[in-house]
Amino acid sequence: MTASPSASSSGFLLRRSEWALLAAIVVAVVLTAIIDANHSYWFQPLASLRDIARSTAMLGMFALGAAVVIIAGGIDLSAGSMIALSTTVCASTMLALAPAGMVGFKPVGGTVVAAGCLASLLAGFLVGTLHAWLITAVRLPPFIATLATLVGLRSLARALATSTTAALLPTKNSQINVYDPMFKFVRDNVWIPVAVFGLLAFVTWLLLTRTVLGRHVHALGGNEQAARLAGIRTDNVKWFAYCYAAMTAALAGLFYVANESVAAPANQARGHELNAIAAAVVGGCSLSGGVGTVPGTVLGTIFLRVVIDAVSKVIKTESEIYEGLIVGVVVVLAVTFSQVGQLAKGGRRLLPGALGLCAIPTLAILAGGVVAMTASPRAGLAAGLAALGLLGALKAWESRQAAAAGTA
Amino acid sequence: MTGASTGHTAADRTIEGHAILMRGITKRFPGVVALDDVSLDVRPGELRAICGENGAGKSTLMKILSGVYRPDAGTLEIHGQPARFTGTRDAERAGVAIIHQELNLVEDLSVAANVFLGREQRGWAGLIDDATMEAETARLLDMLECRISPGAPAGSLRVGDQQLVEIAKALSLDASILVMDEPTSALTEAESVRLERTIQRLRERGTTILYISHKMEEVFRLADRITVLRDGRHVRTVERAATTPTEITGWMVGREIAGHSFHEPRPRGVKLLEVRGLTLPWPEHPRGYRLADVSLDLHAGEIVGVAGLMGAGRTELLETIFGCSPPTWTGGIRLDGLPVRFTHPREACTAGIAMVTEDRKRLGLFPDLDVAGNVSLCSLDQAKRGGFVSRAREEALVAEPLRDTGVKTPGPHAAITGLSGGNQQKCIIGRWLLTKPRILLLDDPTRGIDVGAKAELYALIDRLCRQGMGVLLTSSELPELLTLSDRIVVLAEGRLTAEFARADATEHRILEAATGRTARPTSVGAAP
Repeated sequence: MTASPSASSSGFLLRRSEWALLAAIVVAVVLTAIIDANHSYWFQPLASLRDIARSTAMLGMFALGAAVVIIAGGIDLSAGSMIALSTTVCASTMLALAPAGMVGFKPVGGTVVAAGCLASLLAGFLVGTLHAWLITAVRLPPFIATLATLVGLRSLARALATSTTAALLPTKNSQINVYDPMFKFVRDNVWIPVAVFGLLAFVTWLLLTRTVLGRHVHALGGNEQAARLAGIRTDNVKWFAYCYAAMTAALAGLFYVANESVAAPANQARGHELNAIAAAVVGGCSLSGGVGTVPGTVLGTIFLRVVIDAVSKVIKTESEIYEGLIVGVVVVLAVTFSQVGQLAKGGRRLLPGALGLCAIPTLAILAGGVVAMTASPRAGLAAGLAALGLLGALKAWESRQAAAAGTA
Repeated sequence: MTGASTGHTAADRTIEGHAILMRGITKRFPGVVALDDVSLDVRPGELRAICGENGAGKSTLMKILSGVYRPDAGTLEIHGQPARFTGTRDAERAGVAIIHQELNLVEDLSVAANVFLGREQRGWAGLIDDATMEAETARLLDMLECRISPGAPAGSLRVGDQQLVEIAKALSLDASILVMDEPTSALTEAESVRLERTIQRLRERGTTILYISHKMEEVFRLADRITVLRDGRHVRTVERAATTPTEITGWMVGREIAGHSFHEPRPRGVKLLEVRGLTLPWPEHPRGYRLADVSLDLHAGEIVGVAGLMGAGRTELLETIFGCSPPTWTGGIRLDGLPVRFTHPREACTAGIAMVTEDRKRLGLFPDLDVAGNVSLCSLDQAKRGGFVSRAREEALVAEPLRDTGVKTPGPHAAITGLSGGNQQKCIIGRWLLTKPRILLLDDPTRGIDVGAKAELYALIDRLCRQGMGVLLTSSELPELLTLSDRIVVLAEGRLTAEFARADATEHRILEAATGRTARPTSVGAAP
């Protein structure tokens, strides 16, 4: 793994920041094992591991795709909708090829399943091509192009589900059930998505660090103009990157079908694209491009899922409400910590002027509110006041430092 | 508005004190001293022209005066008050305004909004008072004899009008000291005349003006005194009436040619490249073209230097040959006698052309790749084993160019950003040597590189040429072109104005050809 192109902050096997992430994962797991009132990590280690492994593998697959696009200097916001499209294309294809089996909950056969899966991957390729065309030929900014498909593809998937069921079934439906034993087998054997994720991670790593194309991805993200002037066909590299992102999302979609036994495009994987981007960013990918590794992305995904799982263990009821909050906090903290060195020596202030003054109660209310809702109002008040005190002290210290620097 | 009436106004005034007094101003940038102990005093109401070649330090000096940079040493006084500007706002408060060479307009805002950007007039309840601002802008534009609507978006204006908006912006500050950095470079003849009338009016109000220009004609028509800078040093300041354009040009050039020269003649080989009537349109510019009817030849074993001031079209010429300019160009390019028209640098690369770009950081370097990655980038296919890039092969591949170009690096996997500018540039040249080019396009290859590394690069370029490569070299430094080139062609505002054999080329003659319009030295400078 030392062959990753950047020479900076490399360490033994992993970079320093990646070792830190690994340590953070261990700490999060240990803390959860202790704090969780049921001690489920302690008493049901296998079931807990299975849960985390499945969710990590499914998020990780398209997080790898997101990482490739981000390293190439782009962004793909459409992964969640691509997953919905993938599940729908897969189920629709199988429904079209074997309507009787799909309705009668009978095995539809390997050929039909394979056709469904291939159709999904092909859809991924087509969506990636559409993105690349919009970005390189129409010259849309990647954010706009994939924002359009984020909204559009889910709608397309819903229309597809409705019209396929209307055409092939007695009643039209907004979702298509998939009961084939092959999908059940995948659902019941967690090692399959984990193995696929592992293989995909290895292939992506090989691709990014050991192939000419991978080097060109790094070059494109690092300095697009220079890459073009160095004779790299940057448009083709982008085409590859967006196809890779869309096809990994399509692949993940197949596991969503297996896991949920249904293609339900209305809500399946809604918002998950942001989790994938968050995983890549927590893993050290820079949104300005050129920087990022596969080990980092894998660890970022694991960390994200472990923290989400930890909160669901600690907060028993309706923990999924807090998932977004956790992802948000983790991203902010991870990226802030990666700048700690810069903060310390650059003389930069976290709470400058009037903005800093207003940020203090904002953060205190946020912290207090969350604790009040998850624990008790009394604990929330205490947390809020503690945050207020700590941040106030930091502000006072920073002001004194700044004043000292001004007079010097 | 002829020069005759202006000469007296400021000279006759014997106001005590100085509008600007600079003492011992020094400014260093990594690897280069931009200003070295420069002193300058400007009388109130004077129009002072500042002359110098590219890189002489004119713009740096003006940026210090207007608070963009802080000097490393030296003092600055404005109207007798010591000034320590920490930003342009400070300078504006002290009455110093600058009109930059590059346009700094927010294209989507109206002309009036641009003029008052950051100093918006407030009206009732603190709301923005567009009416007042537009009226005031209209008044300023009227003074500039400019018929554009204050409400029009700045982006919809022609470049010349945009320049006038910049000038209106400076005027709205009611500055007592106005710095104009080549204000006429984007203006047509008629607009320039209009600007000169405005300058007269400002001078009647007692405004002190610092005027940077390459155009001797303008300088001699407008200035009271002329200051010449060279290599970051003050050469001399003279009264306009006491000098001639030829003398000024001589002082601008003035230095001895640096020691390294390669006078042993190189054997000239077959013709590699032939450019005929190359024209590159520039629709949004009043000139209409970036390059017009440029023709030149390049032979194997020959270095052809391309001289020209900033904006003369040097980079555009190389880019068009390399296939990375807009495909709208007309004319003919022949490689080995066969017509070629590259649409992507990849094709030029395959055909045996390499280009080392002008702005190393922006267009050449990959900061996230290590030294080996930067060097091997264009020829990574050669480092493959079984379809995958082999680390060992990559190291072996880059070892030769790193040795040939003399890169000093801790190792092939060191961070490229840790290397000095000269070593970074050698890495980029090494990258292109790996593609085994027959034609090497070098766009200002030694910019921002210290003297020692420059000499090494000269030796390297000479050696490559002796091995049979054809080199097309541009430089903003004339001594560099004179040191290396077998022939020198001169571009002025997109046209090829002269071609010299090495024996006939002097800095003076090149500079005269490069300044184009200044070829009438006898008609200017005649005092009444």
